[in-house]
Amino acid sequence: MLAYQLRIAWKSLMRNPGHSLIVAGGIALGVAVSTLFATVRHSFAKDPIPEKSDSLYYVRMDSWGPHEGYPGDTISPQVTYQDMNGLMRSDIPVRQSGMFKAQLYVFPDAKIGRPQREIVRLCFADFFGMFDVPFKYGSAWDEKADKGPEPVVVLSEEMNERLFGGENSVGRSVRIENRHFRVVGVLDRWRPGIKFYDLTQAQVQAPEPVYIPFEFVRAMELRTAGNSDGWKSPDQRGFAGFLASETTWIQFWVELPTAQHLERYRAFVDAYTLEQRKGGRFQRPLDNRVTSIPDLMKELNIVPKEANATMVVSLLFLLICSLNLIGLLLGKLLARGSEIGVRRAMGARRLDVFMQHILECELVALAGGAVGLLLALGGIEAVNLWTKTMFQRDDFFRIDWTMAGFAAVAALVAGLVAGAYPAFRVCRIAPAVHLKSQ
Amino acid sequence: MLQMKNVVKVYRTEIVETHALAELSIHVRKGEFVSVMGPSGSGKTTFLNIAGLLDSFERGEYLLDGVDVRRLRDSAKSRIRNQKIGFVFQSFNLMPELDVFDNVDVPLRYRRLPARERRQRIERALEQVGLSSRMRHLPSQLSGGQQQRVAIARVLAGDPVLILADEPTGNLDSLMTHEILDLLERINDQGTTIIMVTHSAECAAHAQRQIHLRDGRVAEVDEPPSLVRGREPSLAPRLG
Repeated sequence: MLAYQLRIAWKSLMRNPGHSLIVAGGIALGVAVSTLFATVRHSFAKDPIPEKSDSLYYVRMDSWGPHEGYPGDTISPQVTYQDMNGLMRSDIPVRQSGMFKAQLYVFPDAKIGRPQREIVRLCFADFFGMFDVPFKYGSAWDEKADKGPEPVVVLSEEMNERLFGGENSVGRSVRIENRHFRVVGVLDRWRPGIKFYDLTQAQVQAPEPVYIPFEFVRAMELRTAGNSDGWKSPDQRGFAGFLASETTWIQFWVELPTAQHLERYRAFVDAYTLEQRKGGRFQRPLDNRVTSIPDLMKELNIVPKEANATMVVSLLFLLICSLNLIGLLLGKLLARGSEIGVRRAMGARRLDVFMQHILECELVALAGGAVGLLLALGGIEAVNLWTKTMFQRDDFFRIDWTMAGFAAVAALVAGLVAGAYPAFRVCRIAPAVHLKSQ
Repeated sequence: MLQMKNVVKVYRTEIVETHALAELSIHVRKGEFVSVMGPSGSGKTTFLNIAGLLDSFERGEYLLDGVDVRRLRDSAKSRIRNQKIGFVFQSFNLMPELDVFDNVDVPLRYRRLPARERRQRIERALEQVGLSSRMRHLPSQLSGGQQQRVAIARVLAGDPVLILADEPTGNLDSLMTHEILDLLERINDQGTTIIMVTHSAECAAHAQRQIHLRDGRVAEVDEPPSLVRGREPSLAPRLG
């Protein structure tokens, strides 16, 4: 019966293609706008690493001073260098890494170009396995290189393209500042939505182009290019004083595969804090947070309020588009009263008539939805171009299968909203009245 | 087959009430061919609509094939229309975008019959009205008489016990009129009850009984001898 009704609906739509185009156009407009703004929100809100988001945790501790807490009724989003080292002593996580970004000069071959300051992420080898970072050539460095630290480097695909023309550069040398690093790996294209591993700053930017072992922080006396917070001046002067200070500037991640791991790790962090308290630190009430990615995104309000607001407005726009079509569809159905009367006379139930017209509306709505999706794709490209300078990437906003599904559902709902009342009205009319209308 | 007693139908607007049927009582026996005549506004079409369960009525009783239709829900009325009643309209009422086959298929679709049985019924019905060769023609490619034959095939495919025809020859020339009336007579000879609304005395003469309506009531009933059609029913050619 459904196939029959679809066939009849198609023939009916083709009988008056102009009218069908107007209805489809109205829905296309609404779907395009709502899909565009829903995609903007979705790009911020979606789980950046769904396959591991239940085992990755971000670690924070309230290491602030005894008299005044971290501003904003929360705790510092990062940890100190000394606390990172303390946390790294735990063997509970299957992987763990402290990390920060620095801005360093990278020297390409003189024939290729001039040195440029690049964002370099300093991290431990576990960073790559923990976040499922894909490799095109080579692999991550090993634990020995972490400890050395050995002068090894992992390049992004884009940086490898710039430095080595895209060829397999594993084993080649790259000068960073005044040191030479050996390439051990080149990343494949890696574009998580939100830069989830560092939500403290520029969350929508692309991952860094260069990665070197964390311990070069000491060897090269590197300072963070990201945010840092502190509540008191360092006790000692110089770089050693900075490392020993209460300044928080390191993001710290652990991979805890089970709830038992998580429970044990939380106990470990609390125990570490209490131990530090004996030495005069951590004088505030115990507030350690081991937070999953989805919870962290919520806590840090990663989805901008504007994205939520514009999505709601766009959905209202879709609703208005649908409501505007009600009159048009009602007029069309009433004009076809004779056909409805004949079908009712032949034994069609009210439900059959209702379903017939809803199917017809949904067919037009799906066509409109497809056009709307294409328009939204164009719109997203325009938004990406517009935000390219701001985000330093042109692929942050993406219409994925979820958003394609959203467009389809939005179109179907719009078709239902537009078609339900006219269909209900006409199927309530006595068949004799329809027949009289011929 | 059809028994109406004191049926009242009133059309209301904000300023006026029109009594389309005023205590109408009609009894049509199984297998009868009855014509209903009367001037415009006498209630012929209203009677036919109520008889075909296409419209409701205010008061009175109506038994169709022994069933009190007053108490039926809309879906039950739809089922009766689908299984027991066939409609023939003055303007044929074929779906313009559907070909002959699909037009005849309409009532069978709502009966949810399997595809094979539907095809057999459609082919048989089109053969009965002599349009087997036009199965894939659109209504616009057929003459008026052929379109009305398709409409009758649509009725025949459903194998109803009652056919309600509203001016079935109103849009046809005299040659086609005779063709359609002959077809209806042959169907009636198979035992199907037919009620035909008509303005034409000549058409009405083909019926076994003529009911005249005036002001929503039965004004007169002519019950001529069985030879009024000009032939013995037993001599009528068999259908199919």
